[in-house]
Amino acid sequence: MKNRVLALVAACTTGVLALTACGSTGGGTSADGTVTLKLVAADYGDKAGNSSKAYWDDLATRFQAANPKIRIDVQVVNWNDIDKQVRTMVQSGNQPDVLQTGGYADKVADNLLYKVDDVLPVATQANLISTFATAGQVDGVQYGIPFVSSARAFFYNKALFAQAGITEAPKTWEDVRKDAELLKAKVPGITPYALPLGPEEAQGESVMWELGNGGGITGTSGGYSLDSPANVDTFRWLRSGLVDTGLTYANPAATDRKTAFADFAAGKAAMLNGHPSLIQMAKDGKVDYGVAAIPGKDGALKSTLGVADWTMAFKKNGHKEQIKRFLDFAYRKENTLKFDELYNLMPVTQDTLKEMTSSGRHKDLEPFFALLPQASFYPLGKTSWDNVSAEIKKSIGTAVKDDPARVLGDLQKKAEAAAADR
Amino acid sequence: MSLTLSRSETDRPDRPGPSPKTVRRPGFERLGPLPWIGPAVLLILAVVVWPVYEMIHTSFQRISPSGFVRGPAGLDKYRKLLGETDLVHVLTVTVVWTLVVVGVTMILSLALAQLFNQEFPGRRLTRWALIAPWAASVLMTAISFKWMLNQTAGVLNTAMVDLGIIDSPRDWLGDPSTAWPWMMFVAIFVSLPFTTYTLLAGLQTVPAELYEAADVDGAGTWRTYRLITLPLLRPAFLVGVVINLINVFNSFPVIWGMTRGGPSSDTATTTVFMYQLKDTDIGESAAMSVVNFALVVIMVLLFLKVSRWNEEDNR
Repeated sequence: MKNRVLALVAACTTGVLALTACGSTGGGTSADGTVTLKLVAADYGDKAGNSSKAYWDDLATRFQAANPKIRIDVQVVNWNDIDKQVRTMVQSGNQPDVLQTGGYADKVADNLLYKVDDVLPVATQANLISTFATAGQVDGVQYGIPFVSSARAFFYNKALFAQAGITEAPKTWEDVRKDAELLKAKVPGITPYALPLGPEEAQGESVMWELGNGGGITGTSGGYSLDSPANVDTFRWLRSGLVDTGLTYANPAATDRKTAFADFAAGKAAMLNGHPSLIQMAKDGKVDYGVAAIPGKDGALKSTLGVADWTMAFKKNGHKEQIKRFLDFAYRKENTLKFDELYNLMPVTQDTLKEMTSSGRHKDLEPFFALLPQASFYPLGKTSWDNVSAEIKKSIGTAVKDDPARVLGDLQKKAEAAAADR
Repeated sequence: MSLTLSRSETDRPDRPGPSPKTVRRPGFERLGPLPWIGPAVLLILAVVVWPVYEMIHTSFQRISPSGFVRGPAGLDKYRKLLGETDLVHVLTVTVVWTLVVVGVTMILSLALAQLFNQEFPGRRLTRWALIAPWAASVLMTAISFKWMLNQTAGVLNTAMVDLGIIDSPRDWLGDPSTAWPWMMFVAIFVSLPFTTYTLLAGLQTVPAELYEAADVDGAGTWRTYRLITLPLLRPAFLVGVVINLINVFNSFPVIWGMTRGGPSSDTATTTVFMYQLKDTDIGESAAMSVVNFALVVIMVLLFLKVSRWNEEDNR
């Protein structure tokens, strides 16, 4: 008799466990028809006080108020970890519904994403600035939805320049070197030029220098050209001009952009390549800064590195309609404008761009608005780019200590292998 | 259920034998010790053998950066791994890292164990204090040291400048030639407690009469140590060496917490290198894991052979 009771208890327990297990694997749909969308986004904040978490939480609350049947589960991850975390999510089958991060093409290669046509209302699509919409295409089909953009420019500390007796921003690499030497002599204790080639953003810093010598990530044929003579030459110059002479950090390969920005905002670095979010940091640090075109080998750059970050929608959970509603909401002018103004980023939608250029509240962004039309981009449409970018981040910094030809040659080999491996 | 119950009740009086169970469940008996060791075997299969199988299996597959299997890769991933320009350097430094950290740890631990085996005021307190680096999470210790060595704000940098050891703060962890010694220091720091306690336990098993006899025979301190303490400490010492060899070879948190193996792979051991490869190619990373696994097994077998582990029993 006792045994029977036990058996009954056991059976019930198993049943309850099985039921709860079913409940939690229902692809984010609960019994009352409420769909939970998992949103994973990158953190654009540089400290706890301005984390993007606050923006997304607020957006989610407002969206949920208007759409009671949809819940948004917000996860904000810092830039250093987001690629790895997303990969883990995908590998464990726990994919987000909406992801906002730096690249999209590798997910296209595995057929994970909805086409933009499926998840973005036509009106919202038409509102995207067309060059960005095009950059979201892989083989002619758009999968990536641009989220924010930014362009890079050269920043310098006017007060430190005045102390060193320098009157204008450098235009050529030689100018940079001479100014850096003056700064080193007259203002000891600061870093004359901050060269962050650490894993955080080495791909950006390196390409800004390469562009100055007519180099870049891809060649005219469209394939990777990481070890082109122009690029090797660029790193030779960086090594002999800035690193060996002690005009930048002792170990650029181990120094992240975060450190460089923080140093500039604290008045401890005199020059660096920055993007618009540095404006606010510099203001907060009471640094009197100037913005100029990025110096090139023989003259200031006519183009610059343009960067867009992307939103994408995953197919796995099948929440097409809910995602469409959410993206429609997220791309409304008041929301994108709020995000762009929060971090001094540039818009990717036409209505927000119009608003920002005409409102007169963004005088400090105007040099960047002007740069954007000639910007060159990373090869985002290549499905191998994320992989290649990870390799560049990891090891291109060592090219200013070791032999540049060997380091870049090694990277080129890896890039070609990644491009061939489909 | 009620059927078996009633049958066993009727059975009982007819069988006067000492073990009625045997007769009732002959099949069960035939299984021998299996039912008792079965759960343990299953556990080992599930948590040891299966992951090893998965690891080896993964190393023969093409897996996309997002983690999808695209088909078999044959030996491609191993070829790719052998083609890595950093591999030779990584293997070399792994050997140096393991030998230096284990060697220094064992020597320091021998001295520390000897110290803690003496009677002195405050012994209990110092024995407790030694546990601290062990009790603290290794990753936490590594990150603490990373910040203490920070170029602009690190307390160790400031202290060394104030003491006149260095002229200006240095970026210790940014340069492999200074990062390695610091990481070895931290690895030794966290290995000391376990090793010292192992040796201390060994020391306490040495019978006091032996020392008395040696004393009576007029053997000096060093001679006593060399001829009595060390040989009797052998089992504890070997355990310490083997466990440290495996731990230090596989040591991940110290290096990852302090330099992440960078710049590039200049401060990576094979374990860290395997983790770095994970960023770009899971299959190649698995191949590195397999090589790593083989290296640990070979290293331990070799060591046990050289140290004639089994002689203990034959003595």
